[in-house]
Amino acid sequence: MSQRTWVPSPYGTIGPFFLKPLVDGCDDLTQWNGKKARGQQIVLTGRVVEEGNAPVLNSIVELWQADAGGVFPHPLDPRAAEADPGFFGWGRARTDREGRFQFRTILPGGSREENGVARCPHINVMVLAIGVTRRLVTTAFFSDTPESVDDPALNCVPANARSRLFAVRDAALDSGATPVYRFDIVLRGDHETPFFLD
Amino acid sequence: MASHPAKSTAPLEYAPYDDATQSLRQIPRYPRSFTRNPSQPLIRRPLTLSERTGPADLARRLPVDRMDLSRPDAGTARVAGQLIHVAGRVLDEDGAPLAGAMIELWQANASGKYIHEMDRHEAPVDPNFTGWGRLVTGAEGEYEFITIKPGAYPVGESDWWWRPPHIHFSIFGVSWMQRYVTQMFFPGEALNETDLLYNGVPDPEARQRITFQLQPTKVGIPNLLRYRQDFVMRGKRATPAVD
Repeated sequence: MSQRTWVPSPYGTIGPFFLKPLVDGCDDLTQWNGKKARGQQIVLTGRVVEEGNAPVLNSIVELWQADAGGVFPHPLDPRAAEADPGFFGWGRARTDREGRFQFRTILPGGSREENGVARCPHINVMVLAIGVTRRLVTTAFFSDTPESVDDPALNCVPANARSRLFAVRDAALDSGATPVYRFDIVLRGDHETPFFLD
Repeated sequence: MASHPAKSTAPLEYAPYDDATQSLRQIPRYPRSFTRNPSQPLIRRPLTLSERTGPADLARRLPVDRMDLSRPDAGTARVAGQLIHVAGRVLDEDGAPLAGAMIELWQANASGKYIHEMDRHEAPVDPNFTGWGRLVTGAEGEYEFITIKPGAYPVGESDWWWRPPHIHFSIFGVSWMQRYVTQMFFPGEALNETDLLYNGVPDPEARQRITFQLQPTKVGIPNLLRYRQDFVMRGKRATPAVD
């Protein structure tokens, strides 16, 4: 009889004291290896709020995304050799008193599975915070026509909540020539962000 | 520049965590856990390249040579406190070592104080103690840090309690699905009994997986009290669970 002996270790909350040196300098994804990332630079910003629309100060948001060509710089991606050498794909930021985080990154390209299934351009997002005992994972999608997006992850989300997973271009916030996209993360409450099973 | 072992290969599939072996999402008397966790069910989705990949080159992106917190710089004095050695391995669900995983660690100093603007505990700061470390696991998934045993400290406002000594860990395995964060506790601490977060993991066996094991004291480095614990990351499961 076989028995599984290696059980994943239990998760724990990040708590209030994730130290500054672990976060500083991780919010700019537009350069790597001394090279500038290809593609359209954007600012991705938003607020993390809890029940009652109250801002979550001091939470940690991490991103993982494909480059402008939709390639992941990782050995599992069959197109990894084409990955942009100026793009690292991962970032981390802390939220301020208004619950706000901000990254500089590039607009991801749509990726494609080996079986041909296409993913809508998107950024993987995770949130860690006091009270979040297991990371919360969601996805920010980018499209000018959200209602026509056909994406295997988005298609699993109840139709009435899908719009909450789209980062919204907010021209009022544009910083110079760099377009700003807003992606608010509602941990609980009205207009709660859909989160994926981890 | 230090060379790092080739990173272990990323698996293609990941089973969801078994809730029975994990922390509760909502922990009684821990108010933030009720206002910060979704009310709607988590959504199951197919995993694609996007989730099955992850940052592969973190050892080049972030400084990873910070394994000795007891003397952050060669010139500084040793930090105050009980010197400890914490070590173990990072494994997957088949017990296979994860080479090239990045581990970050952060903790309070010996008097229970963090170097963080949010820490209002009136306990002394140790100017030599930065309180964080970062390294990459070796070819057998092994890690080791030299640090000091952190102190306990009070938390909460109206309904406060004391946190037992604990060390925070953040681990990047081979993919976005293997991103893991926890707190590791010390064996035999009376405050473990009343800690909301430790007991937020209801299964006593699971709690043992986030508790260091004290190692024999007559072997190893004489001035370091040694603790061990392995971390098991989700992913791969050649041997199915018995129902």
